[in-house]
Amino acid sequence: MATERSAHATWQGDLMSGSGEIHEVPSGAFGPLQVTWAARAEEPEDKTSPEELIAAAHAACFAMALSGGLAKVGHAPEQLETSATITFVPGTGITKAALMVVGTVPGLDEAGFKEAAEQAKDGCPVSGALKGNVELTLDARLQN
Amino acid sequence: MPRIERHANVLWEGNLARGTGRISAGTGAFEALAYSNAVRIGKGKEGKTSPEELLAAAHAGCFASSLAGELTRAGAPPDRLDVTSNVVMDEVEGKGHLIVASELRVRARVPGIDEDAFRRVVAEADGGCSFSALIKASAKVTIDAELEG
Repeated sequence: MATERSAHATWQGDLMSGSGEIHEVPSGAFGPLQVTWAARAEEPEDKTSPEELIAAAHAACFAMALSGGLAKVGHAPEQLETSATITFVPGTGITKAALMVVGTVPGLDEAGFKEAAEQAKDGCPVSGALKGNVELTLDARLQN
Repeated sequence: MPRIERHANVLWEGNLARGTGRISAGTGAFEALAYSNAVRIGKGKEGKTSPEELLAAAHAGCFASSLAGELTRAGAPPDRLDVTSNVVMDEVEGKGHLIVASELRVRARVPGIDEDAFRRVVAEADGGCSFSALIKASAKVTIDAELEG
């Protein structure tokens, strides 16, 4: 079954001196969020950007895929701390997505954890959309 | 050109079916957003976000700034651009869940531009939006763009 999610943004003015707003999202979970080109390409000054939102989507998607994969091999995690860092080069585009995870998974060894993390890195839907378009890296550590 | 990095963190506790996660932005623009699998594949209410909603927000924000940039370059900076992204995730046989589409709806108020020039600039904005290029491995990006008086 297909799942749909939408979001709405308004931009006013030109790129360099104008500004945008990502409206409160339909779920009500966040927003409105302000965006500007200066905050995106220079210092963020507490403002989000498309790249940060992609990082949030990717870190969240990866955590879920890993939790599902670990449960499938009989080791549901106690806790996973994931992060994603997105690299954006203006004029070139988004060049890199770097995933990190520190996991607490009772009864699992380091090799088993790394294998599950690799599979989640390749299998999560956000990775699937990015695959081949960016350098995708993973740093996985077990902390039992 | 400078490399720009943005990051976000997630703390996930428990298994996929019953566990929950919290998503925080590196800039602090949003913090500890709750999400869960039930909400991700369900109707998406209850104040919980999902990876797909965050992608929709990223795409709407990215396309809006890309289009503002291209219009400015064409000598017609916009008064106002309204952009909605609808991101679709679906189960594809043999491939599991994939992001299959992002449908953009654009309503633009741009003084002094005609319909043909607007269409050309919209196509350039799609090419120039880093997000549109990023998700093309699995997703089809469609654009419904109209000028408003």
